[in-house]
Amino acid sequence: MNLADVQFSDHDRVVVARLTGEIDLSNAESIESAIAESTPNHALALILDVSALDYLDSAGIHLIYKLREKLRARNQGLTLVIPAESPSNDALRLAGVSAVVDTVQTLEKALAEFAEANSGRAEVPNQGPV
Amino acid sequence: MQVVTPDYRAGEPPHRFAPRTGQTVLAPVEPELAPSHQVEILYRLSDPALSELGLEEFLDELLVRVRDALDVDTVAILLYDADAHELVARAAKGIEEEVEAGVRLPLGQGFAGRIAAERVAIFIPDVDHADILNPILREKGIQSLLGIPLIVEGNLIGVLHVGSLHPRTFDQRDLAVLQVAAARAAPGIERARLYSALEREHRVAMVLQRSLLPKRLVDVVGVQTAARYLPASDEVGGDWYDIFELARGRLGVAIGDVVGHGVRAAALMGQLRTALHAYAIQDHGPARTLELVDRYVQSMPDYAMATAAYAVLEPDTGEVKIASAGHLPPVIIDPAGGRVVEIAPSAPLGAFSYGRVQEHVLSLRPGETLVLYTDGLVERPGVPLTDSMEELVRVISGTRFVDDLVRVAVERMVPAGRLRDDVAIVAIQNTEISDELRLRLRADPRVLAEIRHLLRRWLRHHGANDSQTMEITLSVSEACTNAIEHAYSPAPAEFSLTATADDGLLTFVVRDAGRWRPPRGQDRGRGLTIIRAAMDDVEVNSSDTGTEIVMHRRIAR
Repeated sequence: MNLADVQFSDHDRVVVARLTGEIDLSNAESIESAIAESTPNHALALILDVSALDYLDSAGIHLIYKLREKLRARNQGLTLVIPAESPSNDALRLAGVSAVVDTVQTLEKALAEFAEANSGRAEVPNQGPV
Repeated sequence: MQVVTPDYRAGEPPHRFAPRTGQTVLAPVEPELAPSHQVEILYRLSDPALSELGLEEFLDELLVRVRDALDVDTVAILLYDADAHELVARAAKGIEEEVEAGVRLPLGQGFAGRIAAERVAIFIPDVDHADILNPILREKGIQSLLGIPLIVEGNLIGVLHVGSLHPRTFDQRDLAVLQVAAARAAPGIERARLYSALEREHRVAMVLQRSLLPKRLVDVVGVQTAARYLPASDEVGGDWYDIFELARGRLGVAIGDVVGHGVRAAALMGQLRTALHAYAIQDHGPARTLELVDRYVQSMPDYAMATAAYAVLEPDTGEVKIASAGHLPPVIIDPAGGRVVEIAPSAPLGAFSYGRVQEHVLSLRPGETLVLYTDGLVERPGVPLTDSMEELVRVISGTRFVDDLVRVAVERMVPAGRLRDDVAIVAIQNTEISDELRLRLRADPRVLAEIRHLLRRWLRHHGANDSQTMEITLSVSEACTNAIEHAYSPAPAEFSLTATADDGLLTFVVRDAGRWRPPRGQDRGRGLTIIRAAMDDVEVNSSDTGTEIVMHRRIAR
């Protein structure tokens, strides 16, 4: 039985990974590698949407930190979508994750932020990587 | 008395065949020539029960009686392999080597080969000077031989021959006795052979059936499950059951019965079980899952029909969603008794194009057991179905554990002796939540989700609100994660979890036999941070014998 499922979508070079189910020690590692593999080098960033996740604990937080490290090495951003009332917000709050990872309340907001950053870059092509 | 067969009786005159060295072709003789005391011995062979023994035992019995009746040293039976066009040594007394060596003889040559090809009796007075093919006969020191064909309804079955270690003239009376033996034996061999073939198909179907049923039941903390399958005596059927985990701690339970018997039904059963399972884990729910299986059956090239019931249990709430495609109604057993749950079944799978399946909602309180079964358990000649279903409820009422329930149901409901239809039964019980939780758990990450589901039920039972439930579940899961992580891999190991409540103060103890593992890497050790933040206090006691995490949390005064 797969405790969790992850669905990917591409939004103009921003990969959105939407997680459902539960993440714990039993599946965190395989989900982490599934997400890493589905985020190509040419992607600008990854949005990890955990708003529909029923459960997440330190194994899941470990997953987020590992992903952040991998993406940072490729100069890619990571944003976490997590509404305040989401069940998995508990662990994130108790472990102080929002201090380390960019966190927004909705997927729309996350996408809008990246779109803005993108268009900014298009207008000023010589600015170099942000 | 009927002699061997018309073919043999009307056998061509002996002179038609080219003479072979040392072989004498004998014309069939009148059966009256057989001395009655010798025939006596063979009479018992006609016992039809012999055909049930299987070919091996039957031939053994036959040979002993022929040897005694004719007072010979060797007796052998070669059976005709129509595909290879050969005779195969199948059973022997006195020349067992023939069978052990797996002697195969071509039709038309030598002694036995000629008997079979020409369907005549042949007498060899002196083996040393005769045309024989099988060296074993000579090596054994056989001096004289007499053999006749075994024929049933005009078809060659094989050859029966007897031998003597001293020179002997087999006369017409001996031939008459051998003819009687052959007449008795040939149909028996054919029946036994058929029986063995059926037996073989039965075995194949059994192996197939067994391999298609779950090897072991899911082991879910907080839910007890048991199941049993009994194949029919003559033919396997298409009964199946299945239990599997679904997302969010729910459990799927299915039962079904494919119309028909034998290998085909067993194979079809395997397909339907797989289809149902595959649709079910996509979270379609019972009614839609059965509708999709129905579409699957409709799309199969061959006509197929089956009944099935599929239920999804939500252990947290005890809610059961169930749908039935023409299947017998479920039974719910509670500590005080039990009842047949009358849910209106929809049409069987494969019955109508685009059949609609209805869903029903039941409640399975802690301590109650849902029982699904196939008709083999309750169908009996002359007994109305409703009566035997009531009887089922009566006999399993009062059983406390699912294992007992399933055992009692089979023992009391299935008649002793031959089983006319196969039987499947599956039971799931929503475990009663006790005031204390004492669990021994395998150190396997997969138990974590089950622990959380059980813990949520337990916390609700003790009046914890949603946010308390969430924080406590998280903390206990972290402590268990820790126990699993530093538990002594790769050998299978266990750890324990106890939860107690005392006037609004909850205490949780997670104990394992491993050493406390200091946090590794900068990101680890977060588990303990979370526990510290969520619980009132936490204590880690580590010793040579193991590690213990004790956590307290007050939820009410």
